[in-house]
Amino acid sequence: MIQTIDNPRTRDDTTAPPASSPPSIGGAITFRTLTKHYGDAVALDRVDLDIPIGQTVALLGANGAGKSTAINIMLGLVTPDAGEVRTLGQEPRVAIESGRVGSMLQTAGLPIGARVAELVEFTGALYPHPLTSAETLERAGLAGLATRRVESLSGGEAQRVRFALAIAGDPDLIFLDEPTMAMDVESRRAFWADMRRFAAQGRTVLFATHYLEEADQVADRIVVLDRGRIIADGTGASIKARVVDRTVQFTLPDADPTMLRTIDAVTSVDIRGAGVTLQTDDVDATVRALAGRHIPFRDLEVVGADLERAFIKLLAANGER
Amino acid sequence: MIRISERGIFDMLALATHLAGRWPIGAYLRFEVRRQLRNRRFVIITVALPVSLYVLYTAVLDISSSATIDGLAWPVFFLVSMAAYGAMAAAITQANAIAAERGSGWSRQLRVTPLSRSSYVLTKLATAVLLTAPALVFVAAVAIIVNHVELPVRVWIELVLALSLGSLPFAALAILLGYTLGSESVQGAVTLTFFGLAILGGLFAPADSFPPALATIARVLPSYHLAALGRDVVASGVPDPVDVIVLTAYALAFGGLAAWRYRAVEQRSHGG
Repeated sequence: MIQTIDNPRTRDDTTAPPASSPPSIGGAITFRTLTKHYGDAVALDRVDLDIPIGQTVALLGANGAGKSTAINIMLGLVTPDAGEVRTLGQEPRVAIESGRVGSMLQTAGLPIGARVAELVEFTGALYPHPLTSAETLERAGLAGLATRRVESLSGGEAQRVRFALAIAGDPDLIFLDEPTMAMDVESRRAFWADMRRFAAQGRTVLFATHYLEEADQVADRIVVLDRGRIIADGTGASIKARVVDRTVQFTLPDADPTMLRTIDAVTSVDIRGAGVTLQTDDVDATVRALAGRHIPFRDLEVVGADLERAFIKLLAANGER
Repeated sequence: MIRISERGIFDMLALATHLAGRWPIGAYLRFEVRRQLRNRRFVIITVALPVSLYVLYTAVLDISSSATIDGLAWPVFFLVSMAAYGAMAAAITQANAIAAERGSGWSRQLRVTPLSRSSYVLTKLATAVLLTAPALVFVAAVAIIVNHVELPVRVWIELVLALSLGSLPFAALAILLGYTLGSESVQGAVTLTFFGLAILGGLFAPADSFPPALATIARVLPSYHLAALGRDVVASGVPDPVDVIVLTAYALAFGGLAAWRYRAVEQRSHGG
């Protein structure tokens, strides 16, 4: 499911490296021509990916795009058919056993009978340098639920416990696979606030989501997966820019479509009564040309592309290939 | 002159406790035992049932109360039987936990922590052995209170150790079942297994009273030899080597099969 967004926030496009940057030794994650098939189905198709330490990265894609496969390979739960993978510069299993990685899996049932605080304390004890239980509970917003049995928790509360298990070992790298599933809007907001606070201390965060809003608002960088391939990689703003498709709207009685088509950068013209909608590659050039030709438009409005539309366009373009 | 200060001893104790808690298997074991003791079904099957049967057959119903079997008075003989049943049931029941964890994805979550796979299996075995304790302690307590069974402290300790360590083949069987059956079918299979082993092994009614064919079957079952091990310890203070050998053989056989199942399952999940 895809949520609609309209986020006019601008971003610093330099925070994310271009997809073709050289392999980062000692980076958080490295994929080299990584391929994984399940029978005839391709889960990942020759994927290259470099995630440096300290980034918060969203893996965005529809169901079956390859997000969970990618994360499971980074965690050593799934072995790739071909290609190379490094997690914190090591074989995934070695990285996991070193205790520097925390994870929140999509389908991790909690053990019946356990109390929240016991579960957090035990998980911390598996790591070499854990947070204290009190700190983990506080950071995951579970202080009030410490003595509750896990089977009595709501879906959203159980997700918070899974988040607590991911951070209990104070890891350098944290994986979150669809972390806000089963959460309502309010707990989703609270969850990401907690997550941001955790990530702000130089940790690397990688999360899978199919919520565009989350990817755009939380991540420094968005990697869009579709049918096992990376089809876009950059900030939310840069992904929008790749599929620039801005719209200029105004009121102009008796508009002449032929003339409007000759306006700079216009790609399409749509006239409904007195309402005119122009699609343009370059809003500035189009507006300047409209003014330059003394066209008597009124109520001019520029509508930016939202990430939602950019995403759909990217998926469609990939499908035509 | 060297003087160890009191303060120093307390510091050392604090450090030792800290290290034990920080030892991953220690923390895991504590966690498992605590949560499983909250499982009402577990407590009913492994504690309430043997205790009730013990009271029923040694104090309420006036049957063979003065008889001796294998040189043991009936209240002592049946104490060993019910303790052995409780210990065996507690150990086999671990299969439920293992299958449930595989089904719910909790074992997958554990796989992405630094807990190694061998630590996981070791902890399951140790949990099974530790969870025999409630059954042993409660059956023994009821025997003392209701029937005034008197045994030297050393014999009580030996009996508890023999029956809990003697449950290792059943702990291995639990791992085998937990990695063979799904979380849906495991409970029925587990209940059938320990009731079957208990009845056929002569824990509910002495194997001596069985018709010859059934008695022969009883003598090849691990449940029979677990109770026999307990009886030896109570009667003479030394275990019969035959019981030890048979139980060890079962532990190795179940352990080998469990390792094979475990590898098959882990490999499949690794590929998928």
